[in-house]
Amino acid sequence: MVRPKAPAKKQQKKAIDFKKIKRKLGRKLPPPKNATNTEIKSKAIILPEQSVGAEKSGIATSKKGLTLKELLQQTSHHNPKVRKDALLGIKDLFKHYPAEMQSHKYAIIQKLRERVTDDDKLVRDAFYKLFEADVFPACIEDNLGPMVSLLMPYIFSAMADSSIDVRLMAFKFFHLVVKNYPPTFSLYAEKILENYTDIIQKNHFYVQDKSKLKVALSGLEHCLSLLPCDESDTESQKKGHLQKETLLAYEQDVAEESVRFAHVSEKLKEIVGVLINCFQDFIPLIRARGGLDEASFDCINHILCGVRYAIKFSNRMHIPILDQETASMLLKKLLGSFPLNPENNLSGKVAEWYFILNSVLTEIFLEVSGWSLLPWDISCRYLKFIDNTLRGKFTRSIGESIHKKTLLALVPFVPKLILRVEDREWRDNFMQAFTIITLSDCEPESPLKLALRIPVRVFISVVRDLIIPNGDILYLNDPTVNNDQLAWVDELPSLLTKLGNKHLVSTQQFVKEKKKQRIEHAISVVLQLLIDLGRVGCVKKVLIDRVRCLQNAPSTFKEDTRKFFNPYQEEGAVEPGGPFARLPRKIQELALCFLYYFTIDNFSPPMQRAIVSCCLYPQLKPAVLYRIVEVLHTAYRDGYIQITDHLSFFITLIARFRESIEYDGRRETTFQALTNLVCSCLSEMGDSSLVLQILEKVFVEQIILKPALVNGCGILRMICTLDSIPTRLSESSVTALSEFLPGYLIDIVNCIPEDKEKLSYLYIYYLVPCFHLFDRSSRLTEDVLKRMRLMVSENTRAMLESSVQQDGESSRNSVKLIQCIVSVILLMHNDVKARKIISPFKSEIDLILQNLVTLQSSSLTVEGKHMMKIAGERLRIASNSLLSCTTVTML
Amino acid sequence: QSENSSLLPSFSEEDREIDMEISIIASSFIDGEIGSWDLKTGKALLKFKPCASPAHGLTAVGDKFLAASQLKASGSSGSIFFWSWNKPQVEVRSFPKEPILALTANSEGTYIVGGGKSGEIYLWEVATGKLLKKWHGHFQSVTCLVFSGDDSLLVSGSGDGSVKVWSLIRLFDDLQRQKGSTHEHYFTEHTMSVTDIVIDYGGCNALIVSASEDRTCKVWSLAKGKLLRSIVFPSAINALALDPCGSVFYAGGRDSKIYIGAMNATSDHCTKVLGSISEESKAITCLAYCAEGNLLLSGSEDGKICVWDPKTRHPVRTFDHGKGPVSNIQVVRKTFVTNLNKTLSSWKRNGASLPPPLEKFEKPEEDGIVIVDPPPFSDVPVYSSYLSADLIDEQVRELQQQGSAATEIEMERLKLEYKKSLQMNDQWQKNYENLLQVVMELQNGVTN
Repeated sequence: MVRPKAPAKKQQKKAIDFKKIKRKLGRKLPPPKNATNTEIKSKAIILPEQSVGAEKSGIATSKKGLTLKELLQQTSHHNPKVRKDALLGIKDLFKHYPAEMQSHKYAIIQKLRERVTDDDKLVRDAFYKLFEADVFPACIEDNLGPMVSLLMPYIFSAMADSSIDVRLMAFKFFHLVVKNYPPTFSLYAEKILENYTDIIQKNHFYVQDKSKLKVALSGLEHCLSLLPCDESDTESQKKGHLQKETLLAYEQDVAEESVRFAHVSEKLKEIVGVLINCFQDFIPLIRARGGLDEASFDCINHILCGVRYAIKFSNRMHIPILDQETASMLLKKLLGSFPLNPENNLSGKVAEWYFILNSVLTEIFLEVSGWSLLPWDISCRYLKFIDNTLRGKFTRSIGESIHKKTLLALVPFVPKLILRVEDREWRDNFMQAFTIITLSDCEPESPLKLALRIPVRVFISVVRDLIIPNGDILYLNDPTVNNDQLAWVDELPSLLTKLGNKHLVSTQQFVKEKKKQRIEHAISVVLQLLIDLGRVGCVKKVLIDRVRCLQNAPSTFKEDTRKFFNPYQEEGAVEPGGPFARLPRKIQELALCFLYYFTIDNFSPPMQRAIVSCCLYPQLKPAVLYRIVEVLHTAYRDGYIQITDHLSFFITLIARFRESIEYDGRRETTFQALTNLVCSCLSEMGDSSLVLQILEKVFVEQIILKPALVNGCGILRMICTLDSIPTRLSESSVTALSEFLPGYLIDIVNCIPEDKEKLSYLYIYYLVPCFHLFDRSSRLTEDVLKRMRLMVSENTRAMLESSVQQDGESSRNSVKLIQCIVSVILLMHNDVKARKIISPFKSEIDLILQNLVTLQSSSLTVEGKHMMKIAGERLRIASNSLLSCTTVTML
Repeated sequence: QSENSSLLPSFSEEDREIDMEISIIASSFIDGEIGSWDLKTGKALLKFKPCASPAHGLTAVGDKFLAASQLKASGSSGSIFFWSWNKPQVEVRSFPKEPILALTANSEGTYIVGGGKSGEIYLWEVATGKLLKKWHGHFQSVTCLVFSGDDSLLVSGSGDGSVKVWSLIRLFDDLQRQKGSTHEHYFTEHTMSVTDIVIDYGGCNALIVSASEDRTCKVWSLAKGKLLRSIVFPSAINALALDPCGSVFYAGGRDSKIYIGAMNATSDHCTKVLGSISEESKAITCLAYCAEGNLLLSGSEDGKICVWDPKTRHPVRTFDHGKGPVSNIQVVRKTFVTNLNKTLSSWKRNGASLPPPLEKFEKPEEDGIVIVDPPPFSDVPVYSSYLSADLIDEQVRELQQQGSAATEIEMERLKLEYKKSLQMNDQWQKNYENLLQVVMELQNGVTN
């Protein structure tokens, strides 16, 4: 309040000053004073205009200085010009003070809604523009529901106004409301449809007044498009995550969509009838010589689309809206008039229009469930149109995008069509056409290729419907099983590989996240289909049939599957290997499920090699590796994989897995976890002695090859899992083991630094399987110790024989070796259990000790002598304690 | 009774006179016997020999006798053995057409349902051994079968990863069958074979939980026929048990851990662990829940049966079933009249009359096709989705009382149809007359 008063006072003073200055005209005023004057002057011009202006400067006003309240009052002024200006003023005010809108929206709408029925055209237009540009966009974030419920009664009354222009504006405005708040339609469906029926039917705009008709028709089409169709709902549900509904809680009785719309069926029926009649009115225009004009095309398009939505709704939600009468009318008046352009000599744009209308008609034809009742010649016209579209015969005259859109609309109907058309020739025709579309993608030369890039998702859903409709196998028991269907199934793995490679490229290059997601989604869709095929036993069947049917074109199904999993290049292949290892985890999981079903009678050695090389791929995540083992084991348990194959898989995995010994952290390494997993799988395989019998030979073969430390440990652990006390291994195996073990034990000491206390767990990990083996066979213990003793004595002899310090390298090695052997014995001695096991063989240790003693007195380097001395001392202590140990046990 | 059942761990001599005896039975995959133990005392009871049954292949038929499907097949046909409660030897052997994996009986013990290796499902009547129905259920072997609480629905899980829900009454509706839809629900979201299914007490509106090799457990609503939750576990789940309060379930993993899954889970992953059986990661193979005393029973790969207290999450007791992995555990409740001697004699009476073996083939029906009336309000989409046990009872009652509402409705419908056809007739007649008139006029014109 302080601020507004001040300028008013100043203004008065200045006015007086001005007069005084005028009297003293002869004198020049100092310029600075003048400058201030002019500034104030300009303010003074504005203010006197409004006497109440003083109270407004804090409040939002329009250009003309009116507050919102005043403007709203003026909207109901008796002069239309004032009303219009008020509306424009509000618009202007919102532009400068957007917050004003938010805080007063209900008040504004409560006042403004009266203007829907305004009898002046300019006012109505201003009103429409105000809502279109300002009111709705500003409220888009919050719930429009209450606002719409305020508006609706006025809209309805306007819809029933006596003036046609008012009514039209009401419809136009309603369309705007629906656009901004789609639930409006479902809330007032019945009444809205009633009003539309009324305006289209009774007021009969003649065909001449197309622009007016268009207003009503476009709104109606929009409304009908909001009718729920089950399919799209489930689609979105499948795609998105599951909504987390609360379970086990009191649930409010939320009516389902279908139930909500159940009562509108009567009204829908009416409106379909009205639309068909309206279409009838256009027939002469359609048949006219020069073709349609744009306005009538729009109208007809709206009509047809509206009908299509209504029928789609009734079909999908199983709410019958077509009674006998409407149905026959639909067939006769609408569908019977197909095709809409009997003359072919139309130019570009117009021909395109006709094509669009025809395709919408075709969609209606396909939707109407009773189309088989149509006279055959009419049906044939439709079938011909579909066939031509599928084969791309219209592409010359019709734009690519339009053609593609039509194709996308028609392709999902193909399975139904093939199922329903009884005529064999047509069926084969469609089959062929569809195969051309889908598989032509592989031939870059095909002229269709560009125009017909169907999304993989659509392709897959169609293939699924064709091969396993309702989740049931269809053609498999049919002797006339179609080669095309097999061709699709055959194509799937290669599609998978292609998509996978695309994905690989997309991860390497900088590609938009959205595109990558799309590829991933496509891969998962293909995999899902493959799983479904597998679970109904189709994959197996296909493979057999392909072999039988097409001797000259062998199935690539197996090879492609193999390629998908194998991360390495196959022999002679140029392109990189399969993409499996680089896919996201979720898709890998799906792929493994497919692998499970694929293994049914299909697990051939090449496939096994592919899987093994996948498992051994260094970049593969450990979790996936474990999962592969788990899945294959499940497949084995279910009898899909032969026991020998399964066992050889395990052995290969354990023997070939590459991993260096890790020193950091106490966590289980990948290979250790893998060994555990394989061992637990082995123990679940039934009678372990039998399994051991099968495996023994392979184990020995692997051991003779002297595997790396980690792999050796894995194999030893596998033997331990299967073996029992006393050992069931044969003599020859024990011999093989006794040849292997000394080297293995020395490796342990070599590879793991001795001094670090915290690494002792690693020793234990690698030693434990040996101890188990020693425990089970004393012969083995003896042999191993003997071998180690021989090694020591051999080296000792060699060192003694070699002339002094000449062969430094070899003697150093020998010293190292002897040291290692001593460490091994000490390690065994340190373990309570192992001490007991080796105690009967003290004589061997003593012999080693003797060798050490001889070495100490030999001509070794000082360093070597020192080392031998230390080793000897330690061994002596150990040997002594062993003695006490044996005596204790003897006592 | 309730006091007795709630004080399980304590046991005294007086308890011999309780009205209900709770025992557990367990079988193994490999050749062995069905062991049975008294849950309270831990005392080993009779062992039934010989038996090697697959998972879900052991069932108590009411409290009458014991049935188990056998893994060892004789030729191409499978075998199902019956034991009476008081004899260790097999009393009745039946040889169905193919190996049966899953076997279950309804709570009264009047019907036995078996799931075959080929995916066929068989329904036998116990009293006569008649094969009432055989139908194609799945594409691969049926791995588990569960009855709903009111015995009106059968839920089957299969190696092909599908779960199907069957209404026992609709199965006999030939008209429906001709239309091609025999199942109530067909869930295909699992990507690998289904290992176990549990169902809660909601009857035809129940929630079911299914476990699968694909490492997930999924919660489904029978009322809505859709998937509600999918919970990922760190390992494949072999077995499930439902907590009686209905908000959590227990899942036995292949990694020897028992997980606690929440039905109302908000996250997709479950890592809450109740306990682990052994250090050597021997898989849990089966679970059972005993509501009396709130005990969770788990069987594992190494032949141990462990009794857990889910509240404290500690094992209470273990039973040793032998070397082979445990394939089934079931809690059996037997009611007694008075003391032990008497019950023994009553057992004998029951045991003496074991039913005949189950038949191999379905006998062709002589009397026409069977049609099940649609339930009332079936034209309202919300109500048409299921047939509950209550509804069946109602229909039976109505059938018994002639001239009931159902027949009246039927009469009403017929009357209406009659009226319509009369009208149609009139219409045709009128048309005919009109045509005749036209023809006559034409004729007249020609003659003129």
